[in-house]
Amino acid sequence: MEVAAAAAPAVRCGLRRCRAGLRGRWASPAGGVPLRLCSTRVTLEGINKPVIDRIIRVDHAGEYGANRIYAGQMAVLGRSSVGPVIQQMWNQEKDHLKKFNELMVAYRVRPTVLLPFWNVAGFVLGAGSALLGKKGAMACTVAVEESISDHYNSQIRTLIEEDPEKYKELLQVIKQFRDDEREHHDIGLEYDAEAAPAYSILKTAIQLGCKAAIFLSERI
Amino acid sequence: MAAAAAGGLRRAGWRLWRGCAVVRCQLYPPQRALQASAVLKRVSDEQKEPLASSSQQQFDSHPTDHRPEQEPQGPRPSYTGQGGQESEDYESEEQLQHRILTAALEFVPEHGWTAEAIAEGAKTLGLSAAAAGMFHSDGGELILHFVSQCNTKLTELLEQEQKQVQLGEAEKKSTDQFLRDAVEARLRMLIPYIDKWPQALSILLLPHNIPSSLNLLTSMIDDIWQYAGDQSTDFNWYTRRAVLTGIYNTTELVMMQDSSPDFEETWRFLENRVADAMNMGNAAHQVQSTGEALVQGLMGAAVTIKNLAGLNQRR
Repeated sequence: MEVAAAAAPAVRCGLRRCRAGLRGRWASPAGGVPLRLCSTRVTLEGINKPVIDRIIRVDHAGEYGANRIYAGQMAVLGRSSVGPVIQQMWNQEKDHLKKFNELMVAYRVRPTVLLPFWNVAGFVLGAGSALLGKKGAMACTVAVEESISDHYNSQIRTLIEEDPEKYKELLQVIKQFRDDEREHHDIGLEYDAEAAPAYSILKTAIQLGCKAAIFLSERI
Repeated sequence: MAAAAAGGLRRAGWRLWRGCAVVRCQLYPPQRALQASAVLKRVSDEQKEPLASSSQQQFDSHPTDHRPEQEPQGPRPSYTGQGGQESEDYESEEQLQHRILTAALEFVPEHGWTAEAIAEGAKTLGLSAAAAGMFHSDGGELILHFVSQCNTKLTELLEQEQKQVQLGEAEKKSTDQFLRDAVEARLRMLIPYIDKWPQALSILLLPHNIPSSLNLLTSMIDDIWQYAGDQSTDFNWYTRRAVLTGIYNTTELVMMQDSSPDFEETWRFLENRVADAMNMGNAAHQVQSTGEALVQGLMGAAVTIKNLAGLNQRR
């Protein structure tokens, strides 16, 4: 499916990539200095570093935030009947975060500056939604996981547009995580997320927050 | 949506900036282009700088995206930075600039980071002294070239060390020892130019040089931590780099005022600062674990009180 999506804008992409390439390599990093300085940071040859930087940084932040959300939910609902379900999803998120920690070191990507903020915000969101009850927590899970899996999908599209062969490993990781997040989304729906109080408002608000978080984490 | 809009805006801004740069390059010093082409014709291309060849590799590794007017089929693909003209026999303007600047370093102790040093350097390559007109007159490019050369040397050094450790030929250093040695090795590269280094620092702090000098500084610090085996992916990533940047910069300042033989006092200062930083890290760690223990104790107390009051019945 992704391949089809990638093939459609192939013509446009060719042009755009050319321009992106120009921007990447011909722009001197130094304001008005025409000399190109050798940055020793580029050790991994042949990858589009800015794109990979963004992807790994935002995914790491996302998994980190998701971990904190589940931690917040567990703090409130840990002993209730949905406790084990949340714990199981949390464990998967822990694995995801571990994987992105490894990738981050391997690709030498800096983490986002906002991590301490996501730490608090994630926990508050998790605990706050759990205080609305089990259904509220599940509604939160559905909203967050939907945004995250959509975001993974758009990253998969970007990487396939770039070069599916070169980023094979990363693509595989993201695809698998996307499937996991989809599963969490479905689990949330199974546990009556849609019966939560003010479900549509809650979902829209959380998804707006997620979009803002993604926007910021990609950049700073 | 918002992301797309911002991206579009930035692209537009970038194009505008690039457009300005091109216009400035073409109009502002018309003699520059003349000199460059004259100089280019006279230079053979036997010698190649490591810097220049690395930039070429970068070019080679993306054969699909090049400017339409360029022909990569030539035996030695090279490109000119500004004109976009392609010729097989001449080295690019950028490579030439690197060679001139490297040659100019030899004359820095005598002439300082100035156009005179660049002119002298150009003369040793058999070029006209007017080649100095290719660069800004404040010598910023010469200094930045020197800094980036030193950084590359440091990276090579650290990489070698890492290989030796991996092969089991050398023992792995402790982190503080590693940081101290890396910073010392880097600062020792300044010794031949130490008299002129205050001048260089002041030029590096000029507003138009700050982005590139900062970029070089941060990438050097990042390299040191990378080879020190830093695996942090949380906010520590920033604190570690900030601390090391502080240590490097203060030691550099101490070094410029140091008159002891072989800069002994500087290295002692460095050692103490690294030790301080390590202590600080340990102290922060202790505070954190104490805090965690305290929170756990409070939670335990709360649960006990709840139990005593009979509030903890399962629902």
